[in-house]
Amino acid sequence: MAAVATCGTGAGSTGSIAAAASKNNVTSFQRKGPRASGTDSGCSRLVSIAGTRPSVRNGQLLVSTGLPALDQLLGGGLAVGTVLLIEEDKYNIYSSLVFKYFLAEGIINGHTLLVASAKEDPADILQELPAPLLDDNCKKDFDEDVCNDKTPDSNIKMKIAWRYQLLPKMESGPVSSSRFGHYYDASKRMPQELIEASKWHGFFFPEKLSSTLNIESCSLTHGYRKLLQFIQNVIYEEGFDGSSPQKKQKNILRIGIQSLGSPLWGDDICCTENCDNSHSLTKFLYVLRGLLRTSLSACIITMPTHLIQNKAVIARVTNLSDTVVGLESFIGSERETNPLYKDYHGLIHIRQIPRLNNLIYDVSDVKDLAFKLKRKLFTIEKVQKGEVNFKKKTP
Amino acid sequence: MESVLALGGFVLLRDSVEWEGRSLLKALIKKSALCGEQVHILGCEVSEDEFREGFDSSINSRLIYHDLFRDPLNWSQTGEALPGGPLGALQAMCRRTHPGPVTIALDSLSWLLLHIPCTALCQALGALSRQHAHPGGGSPAEPVRVLGLFHEELHGPGPLGALSSLAQTEVTLSGTMGQASAHILSRRPRQRPAHQTQWFSILPDFSLDLQGGPPLESQPHADPHTAPVDPTAHVTFNLHLSKKEREAKDSLTLPFQFSSEKQQALLRAGPSQATSHIFYEPDAYDDLDQEDPDDDLDV
Repeated sequence: MAAVATCGTGAGSTGSIAAAASKNNVTSFQRKGPRASGTDSGCSRLVSIAGTRPSVRNGQLLVSTGLPALDQLLGGGLAVGTVLLIEEDKYNIYSSLVFKYFLAEGIINGHTLLVASAKEDPADILQELPAPLLDDNCKKDFDEDVCNDKTPDSNIKMKIAWRYQLLPKMESGPVSSSRFGHYYDASKRMPQELIEASKWHGFFFPEKLSSTLNIESCSLTHGYRKLLQFIQNVIYEEGFDGSSPQKKQKNILRIGIQSLGSPLWGDDICCTENCDNSHSLTKFLYVLRGLLRTSLSACIITMPTHLIQNKAVIARVTNLSDTVVGLESFIGSERETNPLYKDYHGLIHIRQIPRLNNLIYDVSDVKDLAFKLKRKLFTIEKVQKGEVNFKKKTP
Repeated sequence: MESVLALGGFVLLRDSVEWEGRSLLKALIKKSALCGEQVHILGCEVSEDEFREGFDSSINSRLIYHDLFRDPLNWSQTGEALPGGPLGALQAMCRRTHPGPVTIALDSLSWLLLHIPCTALCQALGALSRQHAHPGGGSPAEPVRVLGLFHEELHGPGPLGALSSLAQTEVTLSGTMGQASAHILSRRPRQRPAHQTQWFSILPDFSLDLQGGPPLESQPHADPHTAPVDPTAHVTFNLHLSKKEREAKDSLTLPFQFSSEKQQALLRAGPSQATSHIFYEPDAYDDLDQEDPDDDLDV
């Protein structure tokens, strides 16, 4: 097995064999491709924007979704220029949390935010973002969290597989802010000064409506049309599509749209099965994807698909989005009492992963994934079927 | 039942033919009126006289009734009917800015759904519950509640799902053997929804009589299917080791065992190993005699 040469010199971005041979006499193999902290590699020819990194598979520019566990499942992160669609769980608890993690990650990385909602004022949404874990003081609490879950059996020194003692643990704890994905404390709020230092645009649909609610103005494309115009204006004026080339520092625009397709947006796909403007939502997604592909932006949309009456619409919406993740929480369902799921809060279904400039994709071969939300950590794991307990039962 | 009124926001009362909800609605209205709140009623399904029947005069004086029953389409053109039809009436309620806690009762959301589109109704309900949370003057949030009566048998799953996703509290009426019960689902923001079942009855003067449990008949038996499934039962291999078996397992020599010195060297060296070492441990069949290399050839 060829040992990887120590790449601490930072020349890991180019795979030049000749250079390596003179440096180290162990091996001439060197890891090709940019390193994880690709933002500080000056020799990289890729655009170095804060909070992004190129994918190790095909060099696609990725941003973090705010949940490192979800980033792993999506193949490293969310590609810039794509849409992440979250199918909401029944009471909209975990999907709004994932939405907030995405926005919080944008604030930490210094990205510009665009928050659109028909239910809550975007300023209120920003006030409720979770606080980031940036200190090393938190690492101690985090390790305690992890240790509390470990069963006593795992502390036995391994006799047969002793080489695996050297391997690092699967979950790495929170580290400093220059890393790609960050961890958040869901019980605390983001500090006010971070929110004020960030740049954000809000779109609150009820404010944009005219003051008199005519039935005509509630036509389905009205809300979506206004939202698309707003997004287009922001992209153009701030230069995310490269339209103002003298801008020296490029940045990413993170767009968050909450509960798209709910009746509050004026769309009745959740109310009836045969609706008049059933193509309004799909047209919106098509135009939105066109806007995103030509700009440096990434979008998260939460959609209450459990309310959509016509299943064909859900299939069309899935095809028009890039990455689709469904959340199913156990609250109120009969699975809550099932001992198989007792450690978890819900199931997560990765319904679609895009093939961007690629013929294959990074589909994980694990299909039954469950998530659980501890205070400081949102983990996604494979459901442990038939968990066998080797402890002796006391009679 | 107190939580229904305490939480504020939009309360969805789902009733059916067997368990009607108007009396519960009137009981909740009476409770709010007794607390000194302003109560606005948008009456669509029954006449005003019939609605006010059963309330005494002190409560009747607090109720502000907007009548859509008498002339919903404004045919009489006398100017008494509410302008703008049902939607106009809802919007007029949105624009109220009277200070103090307020209760708005919509006598029936089903009637409104027949006359205005579902999306317009949802947007109006959203505006109602939001406008009072952020009044223009900047004063702290005042509790407002919107009580909506919904006949769930008249509608498909679509409007029901849309309205219950907007509701902060959902009360479903049912019951057994003449005793009514309310299943209350309250969704506080960012918290798990809480379920509660409350048995109650309504007295002739529309006050609520809360009861402890279902009437004398038997409780439903515990479902035998909810017994916890034990995955370690009925397994074809032995999962539990006796003490002797465990000792035998521990003392077993593994076939490919390094000496501990080699093991430590391998563990310590790790990825920073610069040179390679060779460790030789003679096996049981190895011949250490360097003189005759072909001794084991049996020639």
